[in-house]
Amino acid sequence: MQTETYLEEFKNEGKKPFTLRDAAWIAFVILGSFYAWIQYGSLMDEYEIGILGGTTIGLIFLGRLWPSLQTLTVSVSLMVMLAIWTYSTHGDVITANEETFFLKFLLSSQSAIMWMSALFVMATATYFLALYNKSDFTYKTANVMVWAAATFGLVGMMVRWRESYIINFNYGHIPVSSLYEVFILFVVLTSLMYLFYEQRYKVRAVGGFVMLVISAAVGFLLWYTFGKDAHVIQPLVPALKSYWMKIHVPANFVGYGSFSIAAMVGVAYLLTERALRKNSESGFAKRMPALEVMDDLMYKVISLGFAFFTIATVLGAMWAAEAWGGYWSWDPKETWALIVWLNYAAWLHLRMSKGWRGTPLAWWAFIGLLITTFAFLGVNMFLSGLHSYGEL
Amino acid sequence: MTESKTPASASAAPKTVKLKQPNQLLNFFGSMNLAVTLLMMLSIASVIGTVLKQNETMQDYMIQFGPFWAEVFNSLGLFQVYGAAWFILVLVFLLLSTSICVTRNTPGFLKDMKQYSEKLSRAALQHQPNNTTFDGAVTLERQQEHAVALLKHKGYKTKIHLRDDGSVTVAGLKGKWNRLGYFLTHISIIVICIGALLDSNLLLKYRELTGSLEAETRTVSLDEINQNSWLGPENMSFRGSVNVPDGQKTDVLFLPYRNGYLAQKLPFTVLNQQFRIKYYDTGMPKSFESDLILTAPELDEPIHATIAVNHPLYYKNYAIYQSSFADGGTTLKLKVHPLLSPISNPLELETAVNKVEPLKTPAGKFKVEFNDFKMHNIIPASDEEKALTGHKMHNNGPTIIFKVRNEQGKAWEYENYVMPSLQEGRLFFMTGMRESQAEPFRYLFIPADANRKKERFFKFLTLLNNPIKSMELFTAQYPKTADVSEKTYQLQTKLIQQLLALFRSKGFTGITEFANNNVPEAEREQVSDYYFGQTSFALQTLYLDVLKNEGVIQLHNDEISQFDQTWFEDALNTVAGLSAYGPPMYFEVASFKQIQATGLQITKSPGKDVVYFGSAMLIIGVFFLFYVRQRRVWIHIKPNAETKSGTTAPSSEITIAAKDNRDLPETTTEFNGLVNRVKKFNNSNINTSL
Ligand code: HEM
Repeated sequence: MQTETYLEEFKNEGKKPFTLRDAAWIAFVILGSFYAWIQYGSLMDEYEIGILGGTTIGLIFLGRLWPSLQTLTVSVSLMVMLAIWTYSTHGDVITANEETFFLKFLLSSQSAIMWMSALFVMATATYFLALYNKSDFTYKTANVMVWAAATFGLVGMMVRWRESYIINFNYGHIPVSSLYEVFILFVVLTSLMYLFYEQRYKVRAVGGFVMLVISAAVGFLLWYTFGKDAHVIQPLVPALKSYWMKIHVPANFVGYGSFSIAAMVGVAYLLTERALRKNSESGFAKRMPALEVMDDLMYKVISLGFAFFTIATVLGAMWAAEAWGGYWSWDPKETWALIVWLNYAAWLHLRMSKGWRGTPLAWWAFIGLLITTFAFLGVNMFLSGLHSYGEL
Repeated sequence: MTESKTPASASAAPKTVKLKQPNQLLNFFGSMNLAVTLLMMLSIASVIGTVLKQNETMQDYMIQFGPFWAEVFNSLGLFQVYGAAWFILVLVFLLLSTSICVTRNTPGFLKDMKQYSEKLSRAALQHQPNNTTFDGAVTLERQQEHAVALLKHKGYKTKIHLRDDGSVTVAGLKGKWNRLGYFLTHISIIVICIGALLDSNLLLKYRELTGSLEAETRTVSLDEINQNSWLGPENMSFRGSVNVPDGQKTDVLFLPYRNGYLAQKLPFTVLNQQFRIKYYDTGMPKSFESDLILTAPELDEPIHATIAVNHPLYYKNYAIYQSSFADGGTTLKLKVHPLLSPISNPLELETAVNKVEPLKTPAGKFKVEFNDFKMHNIIPASDEEKALTGHKMHNNGPTIIFKVRNEQGKAWEYENYVMPSLQEGRLFFMTGMRESQAEPFRYLFIPADANRKKERFFKFLTLLNNPIKSMELFTAQYPKTADVSEKTYQLQTKLIQQLLALFRSKGFTGITEFANNNVPEAEREQVSDYYFGQTSFALQTLYLDVLKNEGVIQLHNDEISQFDQTWFEDALNTVAGLSAYGPPMYFEVASFKQIQATGLQITKSPGKDVVYFGSAMLIIGVFFLFYVRQRRVWIHIKPNAETKSGTTAPSSEITIAAKDNRDLPETTTEFNGLVNRVKKFNNSNINTSL
């Protein structure tokens, strides 16, 4: 049989060779996690050690899928290590963030978050400028700004995590527990997901649109910081003291982030489609990705979001069962999560089985963002319930 | 799903007219349109459920919407959306729709998972979403083997079909698990609904319909609870709560039902040894926990466990959660000061929270209901205090909350602080009063004396309540002098007496009113000033006497300290406020012994594992659906009939077709890649092949 000969011939082609970089990456992640475990393992329960293990495996996998993530991880780690080290050489007191240059201007969580905010807003403008002047260089600049912003955002979160322990050992917690903290999580996750899709599908022309949502979130964050002092690190209420928070919240925000990206791609789609309808030679449309590409991207992002939102909702139900005694209580936040979920389930059905495409689904994705925003923010603002963290 | 895709519906071509009817109904129920409509209906209903506050009292709704709309909304079930018949109906329809959809699609999908469709004709292949035909240059055998190897290499499973005309189809299939994804997600919806149904209160609804169940609406002791409000082991699933005071136990749980509750008998007993709250330095609670002992007939050894929020105790299929806390009947030793009494005779009362005490007083008969005791009252600290202590919160210490109800049923609610708290640098005992739950408390500030007690205040008040004694004091201090006639002196002392009485009953406003009513307008201002002067003078005289009795001063014209001066002004304010304080009694907490109760929530939820199982199916299914693409490829090789051996390379006609059940851009890219590989193979082998 020749088949085997051919198969032998094909065997090695197309396979990504296992490079030194891959080996270094795996070693880096494993060593990093091991270090975290040595340093902080005594504070973790068995579930949290499991989460650390899962994160390690996930990070190895994601880094190989998307090599840019490796660079990001390494930069963030180095910056965070520098910040933690600076705190410890200054006696591990929070006031060090006023005294030392690095902390005060760069790496304390507040400074890093301010850098992140500024960079995101600048990136938004730069993306639109690039759309206008069609310059490759401008696009690259915008892209680098987003990378830098995401880096600072992650550094801000990690350092804040450490700072919560420095302020008072009893306050210590992962910074995903208040509305302020999850907003940072939201902008960081959304920007990273966007960067992934930009690289993979060459859709940098929608960058400005996606960055609009992020800038809006940054605007809220700034108002929340300066208007409401929301950035002050508070201890956790008993109901939030659980390892569930570490997985439930991030899973939710992968969902929210994806839905936001989908909505903004939808907006870009609608504008392009309109421009084409008016003038099939529209200059604007020429600068934008092809309609099919955007349509496909919407689907891809919504399916990712839907998958994670499903997980997040199930995890939420399991947490609720442990904290409140029932997996489903029709609490407003829960109910709105269900509404968001049903909405995208309907969206997916129409696309998958009814073969809907394009404009109606783009509109729907945009309206989906309004529903998602209400679930995320509106519920906290207007409705009361068991999820009463971060009331405005 | 478009119906044409469903093999089941395709084969169900109507043989008889009779069959058509149920089919149409099935079509309707299993249709995608209905499914999407139901999903949207559920969403909208859920929105209503969150925007309209659920399960409030009808009275609240009346106030909010007016009687008409409240009635309309109520009859539509909008105040209990998630339990409303129409909501359940939507759920049932969704369940039905999904079940029908699954049953109809499953056979077709199962077949789809297994079949390679290798027998599709060339013409059919040329109708696939991706297809191309070109000339090949290698022998059929090599072509075929290369094709198989290529598809295998790309992860396809292959099947070869030899046709009568000598042509060959290599059919490839990849990602058949995608179909399983559909199956898992949709079955999971059914599984989750069944789980939820197991945990619903259908049994109770049924018993209510048959009249053997009725919610208890009164707050009564266990043995007085209505017989029809008891539930036993026959109740498969429940979620209720119970407060257990420290050191006590329970085997009964209360389930909220309608506008009352039901009592659920438990097959075990829970003893609460101790409930604890730990605080952060901000004053926020850090943890709530209870030490429990669970005993059951089937247990040899009782279970000792400490539960906390997020750390319940699981026992068999029951779970015990820390959900709240309450006062468990803190014992109180009180001193009831009669505020109008001319002698100091506080009544000693020993009672406890949750008790009701009858009181017979000269001012009437009352019932005192002791509602609550709070150990800590934490408020944001003032800026100065923050600067001084570094604490963001300030603890004002314990309070008792109680109601005094008169014979007509009118109630005054009080909140009395046990310890004095600092206000503008002085210490006061705060006591709040309100006449309805809707109002905030209005506070009276009783100034603390130098010993941080209320003794001086009550001495002063008693003296003020006693006109005879106060006049004695006054005349002793200011006897008639020679230049004043007996009559004037009499008039003057009488006036003083009257003014003091007025002040006692209404404060300085009482005196203003008196002047307004009795003095002609022209002289009013002058006379009022005189009255005020006289009143102050008299009050001061009484106060100085109190001070003298305390030994603070020896003589009335001794210098008095700033503290004593301010105290006097504060006391006058308080006395003036007494008239609006309700029944003339002040409840002082002499001592207390706090007894806390832990608030437990106990559940039995047989559907929980079913729901979790369904959820796991859902998640796995969703990933299969999104991240496993089902792809098919056909490589059809048809040797050209006119090929003559020996002339040129053996030639054939190759048709490649592909289909992806997700219509994605990458399908075309991959297809083109595959075609190029086959073309390249043919081109590079054009000369070498025999
Ligand atoms: C709560 C109810 C339901 C939920 C949450 C749900 C969810 C989903 C999801 C997430 C998908 C995947 C879409 C995709 O592949 O991108 C899907 C596909 C599908 N659903 Fe549903 N579904 C529900 C009810 C129904 C009902 C009642 C029907 C029957 C009409 C139905 C028929 C289908 C079909 C035919 C597909 C396409 C499967 C495929 O082509 O692979 N679903 N559903």
